Amino acid sequence: MSIVSRGLRNAFRNVVRSVGTIAVLGLVVALAISMLLARQAVNSKIDAVKASTGTTIRVTPAGFFGGQGGGTALSSAKLEKLNGIPHVNAVSQQLEQRLSSTQTNLTNPIQAGNLGGQFGGGPGGFSGSSSSSSGSSSFVLPVTVTGATTPGTALTEGAGGSGGATEKLTAGTTFTAGSTKDVAVVGTSLASANNLKVGSTFTAWGTTITVIGVYNAGSTFANAGVLMPLTTVQNLSGNVGEATGATVTADSLDNVASVATAVKADLGSSVNVISSQQLAESELSPLSSVATITLWTLIAALVAAGLIVLATMVMIVRERRREIGVLKAIGASSSSVIRQFMVEAITLTGIAGLAGLVIGIVASNPIASSLVSSQTATSTSQGYAGGPPGSGSGGFIHPGGGSFSGGFRSSSGGPGFFHGLSSSFTSVQTSAGWSTVLVGLLAIIVLAVIASAVAAWTTSRVRPAEILRSE
Amino acid sequence: MLRVTDLTKTFTTGYGEVTAVDHMSFEVADGEIVAIVGPSGSGKSTMLGLLGLLDEPTSGTIEVGDQDVSTLSATERARYRCSTVGFVFQSYQLIANLSALENVTLPMEYAGVDKVTRRERASTLLDRVGITGDMQSRRPGRLSGGEQQRVAVARALANEPSLILADEPTGNLDSKTGKRIIDLLREVAAEFHATVLVVTHDDKVATAAGRRLTLEDGKLVA
Repeated sequence: MSIVSRGLRNAFRNVVRSVGTIAVLGLVVALAISMLLARQAVNSKIDAVKASTGTTIRVTPAGFFGGQGGGTALSSAKLEKLNGIPHVNAVSQQLEQRLSSTQTNLTNPIQAGNLGGQFGGGPGGFSGSSSSSSGSSSFVLPVTVTGATTPGTALTEGAGGSGGATEKLTAGTTFTAGSTKDVAVVGTSLASANNLKVGSTFTAWGTTITVIGVYNAGSTFANAGVLMPLTTVQNLSGNVGEATGATVTADSLDNVASVATAVKADLGSSVNVISSQQLAESELSPLSSVATITLWTLIAALVAAGLIVLATMVMIVRERRREIGVLKAIGASSSSVIRQFMVEAITLTGIAGLAGLVIGIVASNPIASSLVSSQTATSTSQGYAGGPPGSGSGGFIHPGGGSFSGGFRSSSGGPGFFHGLSSSFTSVQTSAGWSTVLVGLLAIIVLAVIASAVAAWTTSRVRPAEILRSE
Repeated sequence: MLRVTDLTKTFTTGYGEVTAVDHMSFEVADGEIVAIVGPSGSGKSTMLGLLGLLDEPTSGTIEVGDQDVSTLSATERARYRCSTVGFVFQSYQLIANLSALENVTLPMEYAGVDKVTRRERASTLLDRVGITGDMQSRRPGRLSGGEQQRVAVARALANEPSLILADEPTGNLDSKTGKRIIDLLREVAAEFHATVLVVTHDDKVATAAGRRLTLEDGKLVA
């Protein structure tokens, strides 16, 4: 019999208690491990989503809200100067206009419908053409024209928010960035409703425009629009040197925040500057709260584990005070008694810790998923702050009156980007690598050390003479 | 030779200071068997604890051979208990989850005796005190009180101590069994040339000892 084998044997002297202790401690360790894994998974998800949000910064006039309009136009020249800010890769500008039936021979393929009619008939709302004074559903929606410097991404960034739909050219060509020609690329649904194809012409602001391409952006609203060179739209609509929005692209993720700050400083308080990261962060807040929950649960589990170990060892030593006294009386040094109880403590915590590690790794995935899904369920029911669904279908400002018009913001931006995000939340996967196993083992060692220290301290306080006096 | 000079032990209790052992002085020759008698609370067990270095005296000296053992460090006291003292307690105090044989090997393990030697020696000692055959591999719970005390005697003898301290060794035993234990202690004391101090209430035990020290209120009265 050595000290080690005696310690091992003593660990299971009271089988019921030892198994109970191991079970409780194991579960707490399992909880800690699964929280650690869930936290890692959620954090890496947050990082991944942030990394995938891109490096764009959206600039719009302050007070401008989609189809509701508002604010003062941005200066095209000022926007152009943003190119001088360090770490800016590109600045693309958009000018959105609406063509009423008196300004164009195009008809919008989208029917206003009952809701649109209600909005259209409301105070301060729609002022397009209504064929019947009593019918609330018979007015015609205006056609949205987007003047763009970068036709390839104009819809997704300008009208579409943060990149839900990307327009793809299905026929013809597109115009160049600095083009001043009277040309247009039209959406597929607009094209079919107006019998347009490459080479066709239509009238806008009294000018004949030639269709040079047809795009498909994947959404009915986006496909009901017209893309034209920025300068052309500025000149034809009488908004020379003005823009309703711009997209600034930073050279890297790390620089997005600083570029956004610089843009804000440059343009002053009359503009809204929102980076795609900021949008993502607000959308990621449920995940962040999951990360916080897991952190606190992790801390609580570790504290609980420490307390369990502490209480168990104090209980064991108290129960065996007499035995400790006897061991000392028959010649055991304090250190050999301490070593024996340390072995006992390490055996208990080691078994519990290993069991907890295995259970924790197995349980971490379901725990992480249920935490994430419960949090995101709350979040998606609150909706996305980008605009109430359906704002694109009513309340258009007449292009002739105000310079601004919004449009498809919520209808294409909402479902595209943010629904994609929400569905990616539920796919949070924990993975236990070697680092996790090492962290777990480290936690077990720390617990064992605590247990041993407690054992050592309490046993060293046992005076051997007590065994004589208590008889 | 065991020489105790002016030995005093005071405790601070809720009722104030209690002097359990009050300026006690005596000598015991090698191989002598001494009974320590006296009413409850007279300081018998406290004195035994002081002699076994389980407790530190408030003042006074304890000399074993030519060495003053009352000034030893904690490590040296543990070594002294291991090599020089053998304890026998009233309620045997065997380790419950170890067999009789393992209980006897324990002091030898602390003394650094190798595994094979200590098992052989423990078996021999158990044979000597009458614990033979498969009884040696039984745990204390499966031995009678008398048998357990025999195991305890064997354990006390494990490192061939020069001083055996027995605290009411027959207190939990019937008189017949108790007498056998006392006889055993006398026999082994002679065999191992050990000095034996027995704290007892039992007059027969006291009579069996060669000499009697009577304590009252911590003082040696006879």
